[in-house]
Amino acid sequence: MSLLQVDDLHVSVGGEAILKGLSLRMEAGEVHAIMGPNGSGKSTLANVLAGRPGYEVTGGAIAFKGHPLGQEEPEARAQAGLFLAFQYPVEIPGVSNMEFLKAAQDSHFKANGQAAESPVAFMRRVRTLADSLSLNPEFLKRGVNEGFSGGEKKRNEILQMLLLAPTLAVLDETDSGLDIDAVQTVAAGVNRFRSADNGVLLITHYQRLLNHIVPDFVHVLAEGRIVESGDRKLAETLEERGYAWLAKSG
Amino acid sequence: MAGEIGLEALQAPAWLGDAGLARCRRALTGKLARETWKYSPLGKVTQALLDAPMARGSPLVDAPEQVRVRRFTALPSPPECRINLHRYPLAGIVAALAGDGWLAEVAETPDRPLRLPAATPGVAAPLLLRVGAGCRVEIEETDAGASTIADVSGPQRLGEVVDRATRGRRSNKAPVNSPQVLAARAPEAESEGTSATHDNQGTLATRVVLLFLAQTAEVRWSRADLAPAREGWSLLAAELDEDASLTFNHQSLAAAFQRLDVSVALHGAGARFGSTGAALASAGAQLDLQYVIEHIGHRTVSRVKQHNLASGKARCTFNGRIHIHPHASGADADLSNRNLALSANADINTKPELEIYNDDVRCAHGATVGRLDDDALFYLQSRGLPTAAAQRLLSIGFLRDGLSGPFAEQAANSFLQQLSAATSG
Repeated sequence: MSLLQVDDLHVSVGGEAILKGLSLRMEAGEVHAIMGPNGSGKSTLANVLAGRPGYEVTGGAIAFKGHPLGQEEPEARAQAGLFLAFQYPVEIPGVSNMEFLKAAQDSHFKANGQAAESPVAFMRRVRTLADSLSLNPEFLKRGVNEGFSGGEKKRNEILQMLLLAPTLAVLDETDSGLDIDAVQTVAAGVNRFRSADNGVLLITHYQRLLNHIVPDFVHVLAEGRIVESGDRKLAETLEERGYAWLAKSG
Repeated sequence: MAGEIGLEALQAPAWLGDAGLARCRRALTGKLARETWKYSPLGKVTQALLDAPMARGSPLVDAPEQVRVRRFTALPSPPECRINLHRYPLAGIVAALAGDGWLAEVAETPDRPLRLPAATPGVAAPLLLRVGAGCRVEIEETDAGASTIADVSGPQRLGEVVDRATRGRRSNKAPVNSPQVLAARAPEAESEGTSATHDNQGTLATRVVLLFLAQTAEVRWSRADLAPAREGWSLLAAELDEDASLTFNHQSLAAAFQRLDVSVALHGAGARFGSTGAALASAGAQLDLQYVIEHIGHRTVSRVKQHNLASGKARCTFNGRIHIHPHASGADADLSNRNLALSANADINTKPELEIYNDDVRCAHGATVGRLDDDALFYLQSRGLPTAAAQRLLSIGFLRDGLSGPFAEQAANSFLQQLSAATSG
């Protein structure tokens, strides 16, 4: 049973076909990187996996841990172990980060029949995670992502991933807008998360993130389908030659 | 129709005068009243007032010794009460019905907050509060009565009040505020120096407060209307002298008719007014907030931020008017009203108004009406929160953004309780 299996996936957004026959298989313990030019469908893949409304599956199938993902609500997917790190995390004034994190964890625990963690133990654990990501603990008291810099928002996404410990983490351009130090911090968090029991689907434009998070597989997404797959050397080739050669060779 | 049951028979107290009362009667049917009461039933409210019982008792609970409280009728001469009767005719009607008023004078900073009793059903005598130069005063006003939204049986509570009033209509021809009628309207137990003595749930509660701030006086007023079944109309009319400052924080949980009129006149140079508010209107609430801010002096400043959330079949109205007078150079005004509708049946009306007669000013106003943000909702759901819980968290976040002052946490808890009751999951 694969961690994630996508077969001939077709997805439309607002009536426009974006994914046109995408297939992908991931096993636990693997890190896959998805690269591709703008508009190729990378973020669409991330959103459709997470169950975002407005993304219509018009063909094909997705199976997560052997269970088909059909009309499941986003929360059901999350509780089953699927996590999406947003490219543009949303700001929610009036809801403190700590309150949000506790509500998220409680929802996971409840859905999986676990007792809620005591507030004291929870807060201690969250502060430790924040510290490991160089995220000022004061940010935990502020509104969710409110007034955070781009880097702080992305680190907050990684904090949530580490806290919720999903089985599959989909990181949608988590490196965009980050300086070198922030990329290293975020990469360290992802590497800490990696284990034989989970998988990471890394969507990125740049090779530089893959210097810090070494993928097992690299895929090139173009015009709604995966047109090339390989190991990390494929990313280096893309960095040197761009995407145009793929179109010519294809 | 207002006046059917004795409006014309009212007798004016000396400090209001016959001319003042006549002005009120005319204003009740005038164009301004029609505009400012467009979304609230002025006729029904007036009628309900005319038949409401008297709510008596001291206007302050356990007043600090630095505050001197007297009845108008105990004063050597009537105090000057500059109510804009053209805009607020009900204030004159309440004053006439009460037949008296309270004067509270603060000559030095009190050692503790001034506490107003919970608004009680019936007609309460107006309170004239004078804060002396340089005094700092905290005012607390909270109504967290046992009433819950679950107790509210239907959307037309004010209609019920009026029905009851009509059934009990007097047949005698005596003026409605004549001594014999006032005696009949008074609660059975009444003692001065105690707070509210009457709690006839479902009857309109009134509160009229006229506030005067002398030079550099500072008042922080915190108000929490957290008894959702209570029907009420309140007027806070404030006048500020030079460098005086009034901060008004209020929270409202409404499931019936509630109207708040706030009138602030910034007379003195450098006078400042700030208001932060959050309201949750549920069930069949008719929540109506009306602000008028007059910038009269130089360098006067006002900041108004109001967040309203309407669910069920609630109607939520906000009207914020900023008036910059010709000599108010350097005035700085900012008014913001954000509204969220949680249901398709909720009705939201918002109208920010600017009237500016000076070029050397800074004015900003904005109003938004919308629903919960889809992106934010998805964000929370993607973290495992069920839809209802995510909606609740976004709603309370929106309201919290408009909460401030000592009752903020209490209000947030009340809001959350109501939101939890209204949603499942």
